[in-house]
Amino acid sequence: MAASLSSMTTLSAPRPVRLLNISNPYSSPSHVRLLPCTASRYTRLVVRSTPSEIANKVSESIKNAEETCADDPKAGECVAAWDEVEELSAAASHARDKNKGKDPLEEYCKDNPETDECRTYED
Amino acid sequence: MAICTVHTTPSLSMPNTHLNQRQVIFFTSARKNQFFRGQNRAFTVSCSADAKTVVIGLAADSGCGKSTFMRRLTSVFGGAAEPPKGGNPDSNTLISDTTTVICLDDYHSLDRTGRKEKGVTALDPKANDFDLMYEQVKALKEGKAVDKPIYNHVTGLLDPPEVIQPPKILVIEGLHPMFDERVRDLLDFSIYLDISNEVKFAWKIQRDMAERGHSLESIKASIEARKPDFDSFIDPQKKYADAVIEVLPTQLIPGDNEGKVLRVRLIQKEGLKHFSPVYLFDEGSTISWIPCGRKLTCSYPGIKFTYGPETYFSNEVSVLEMDGQFDRLDELIYVESHLSNLSSKFYGEVTQQMLKHSDFPGSNNGTGLFQTIIGLKIRDLYEQIVAERAAATAQAAKV
Repeated sequence: MAASLSSMTTLSAPRPVRLLNISNPYSSPSHVRLLPCTASRYTRLVVRSTPSEIANKVSESIKNAEETCADDPKAGECVAAWDEVEELSAAASHARDKNKGKDPLEEYCKDNPETDECRTYED
Repeated sequence: MAICTVHTTPSLSMPNTHLNQRQVIFFTSARKNQFFRGQNRAFTVSCSADAKTVVIGLAADSGCGKSTFMRRLTSVFGGAAEPPKGGNPDSNTLISDTTTVICLDDYHSLDRTGRKEKGVTALDPKANDFDLMYEQVKALKEGKAVDKPIYNHVTGLLDPPEVIQPPKILVIEGLHPMFDERVRDLLDFSIYLDISNEVKFAWKIQRDMAERGHSLESIKASIEARKPDFDSFIDPQKKYADAVIEVLPTQLIPGDNEGKVLRVRLIQKEGLKHFSPVYLFDEGSTISWIPCGRKLTCSYPGIKFTYGPETYFSNEVSVLEMDGQFDRLDELIYVESHLSNLSSKFYGEVTQQMLKHSDFPGSNNGTGLFQTIIGLKIRDLYEQIVAERAAATAQAAKV
């Protein structure tokens, strides 16, 4: 449960990493200015590795929750909608953590061991 | 599941007295006996079929499974915890050699659409099947395998069940481990992770700000919307917990709202049979300790410990509190050498466990330290219970 205080990974990996799914977290103009701790340049180098399926679900559920709550913020449906957002955000965070350990080269080589990049030498 | 103990028998001609148990006798070859000259090395393995599982409950907000506490806990017992091989890839269960971790979200009676229709959150007891939870935890405790449903967090649906074999240690983790009284009575030890609102907010910002679609308002709205249900259903469980890890903002930095330096309190219930609280210097007294000084140099903001007896929801407790951060290895080992009743097997075990997982969040502050200490305490509790049961079985055999 203890959520990560510094879950942002940087590009300073010891070997070249295939970059997956980089998008600018500040692309949407509706983003509010962040707290000083997260607005530093350090966090702009985030490799966002949430699988797109879950990421889409999260953003959809947020839109849905905002719409449902526009009418009545105290209603059961509104509360349930935000709970869904929380659940999906947690799932996204776990998926990110799971992917953090995965090396894209190793993943590729599991399926394609005969390619040049994946050759191993045992002398 | 049976617990098997290995005894050396002086010779094969002298039978073992445990007549009502199945025995396997191994006789090692003469060559291997060179170290034990003059002694007949024969080993008897006796298994008692009525050994039961030790059940630990862990209450924590939102999300289950691969959480840091679980990984630290299973690491104390040895081995890494993995999802069951060959099963549903979205399973929330973790299995290691000695421990199985079950996520209580699997006992949701309503899936995501069901909850949306009824307008209830996952925190609401109406969305959970406590009867099934009680039945299955009871069966696992008695050593029977169960078919546990799976709640898929990605799709929000209830998937077909998976088979869970009874382990030595069963950890049930989720929102309501101590909510139902029957389940509460099955727990041998219970822990509650109490994160204060400010810290929760800071952590959720860290977690969700990179997520497309999330903004500060949406995170805030999500926390606010869940708060009433959380306060009425989840929070009251902390009075039943044997240990509470409370995470608060630091008092060392005035006006800090970043949530990086934390003040963590380990609230330990007194008077429990197999649990002796960790203390500082003198049990039962009130201590305030700043280790940084002449022997140890720390960087800003330093470390501060307090220890003392208190009352928590009308229970007698001992509270060990750490405020600040560890920067270096020697700070950690220095602190460990001054804590007592850690239930560690050797000097420096806590430090070693913390270093093993230095990439886990909380490894430099009280959250990691107290989680590791609780892990050692649970190991000690398990060994005490097993020894007790073995003694009881031996008694029963003699009679």
